[in-house]
Amino acid sequence: MISFKNVNKWYGDLLVLNKIDLEVAQGEVVVICGPSGSGKSTLIRCINRLEPIQKGALIVDGMNVHDRKTNMTQLRAEIGFIFQQFNLYPHMSALGNVTIAPIRVRNIPKGEAEKLGRKTLVRVGLGERIDSYPAQLSGGQQQRVAIARGLCMQPKIMLFDEPTSALDPEMINEVLDVMRDLAKGGMTMMVVTHEMGFAREVANRVVFMDEGTIIEVAPPNDFFTNPQTDRGKYFLSSILTH
Amino acid sequence: MWGFYFHELMRSLPFFLKGLWMTVAVAGLSLIFGSIIGFFGGIMRAGHNKPARLIVGVWVDLIRGTPFLVQIFVIFFILPGIGIELEAFPAAVIALTNLTASFITEIVAGGILAVPSGQKEAATAAGLSGYQQLRYIVLPQAMRTIFPPLVGQYVLLIKDSSIVSAIGVVDITRVGWLTVQRIPEGLMVFGLVGLLYFAICYPLINLSGYLERRMTVVSTKI
Repeated sequence: MISFKNVNKWYGDLLVLNKIDLEVAQGEVVVICGPSGSGKSTLIRCINRLEPIQKGALIVDGMNVHDRKTNMTQLRAEIGFIFQQFNLYPHMSALGNVTIAPIRVRNIPKGEAEKLGRKTLVRVGLGERIDSYPAQLSGGQQQRVAIARGLCMQPKIMLFDEPTSALDPEMINEVLDVMRDLAKGGMTMMVVTHEMGFAREVANRVVFMDEGTIIEVAPPNDFFTNPQTDRGKYFLSSILTH
Repeated sequence: MWGFYFHELMRSLPFFLKGLWMTVAVAGLSLIFGSIIGFFGGIMRAGHNKPARLIVGVWVDLIRGTPFLVQIFVIFFILPGIGIELEAFPAAVIALTNLTASFITEIVAGGILAVPSGQKEAATAAGLSGYQQLRYIVLPQAMRTIFPPLVGQYVLLIKDSSIVSAIGVVDITRVGWLTVQRIPEGLMVFGLVGLLYFAICYPLINLSGYLERRMTVVSTKI
């Protein structure tokens, strides 16, 4: 579904992704972890070309992401992206937020899009907040609206860029619950997160990155109990003791 | 004597109202054209196209960095030298439109750039086109920042329009100059001129203040 082939990316002279090779199969849940500045966010931002790559190839759903001829609208419509800071549209209600792209990009009639929007907001537990504006919602609720906004495009892939890092601790679980449901429903997911409990429980594989390089790829149980590299061991000990 | 002049002035009132109408016509047309051009200019100034951004930037700096009186003389006296003959009225509207557009360009560009980049990213990730992002996501949010200074700019435009009297447009200011030659009570004549400007500007000043309060309340509440 997602295939990185020897991908390199620079910011100016700084190499932020170094020879990335990674295959993600349909229905797979991959958690990406690593210290800050290791390139985790950049890695998933390349998948829908929020960031360009300079070398290598990135194939998503059969489309070459960084080929000029690729229809980016079509590709992005298939990929839901969840931001750390939610990035909800503040001038629109929850329903407005989740229906704008289906109406404008997928050309679904407004009534039908609103039906889908309501259903999706109910699915993420926000049936009561359909007409609320983002500033009237808690962080956890806002992030669930953001997930609903992604789901309303009926995407094939969902990408999460530290979806719980900006949340108060008591709100983290309501967001993770929605993500667990998605994973169980067979959604292809890549999740950048520090929630190791979530990774252990839901991920098929854990990708550990440092300094723009993939250091280890392993099933979560293997990675957490028996990391193969010193950097992996050091990373795990530093997040488990904190 | 004062009473006599006051009576004379009252008899000239229709003349003043014609001047008022001229001021409203020059300022009103410039407001409409200047707003339209200014919005396009602002969108280009805040956009991705580097040459367009640069050209608009140079134009804005040039207009903001020269006195309006000089600009209006350039248009009215110098353009005929290269074969572009203009009546006073269209010359005034062109000059004032040009001035207003340059200021509105900066206001609109500032409003667009004040929208957090995460908003555009979210819209890009959802597959919205550049035009759709501007139309549905960026501009509606930018309008909150744009509106209060925009109305303030309209007030300045109406007051700056008094300079068009210099090329012979018979606006309120010009009416004042002409009248004071007949009624040598400068204070009284220009008092009336000032009052007429104030009568148009004051509601706009209030509107600007109201919008500023309302936009602040809205953006903190929502």
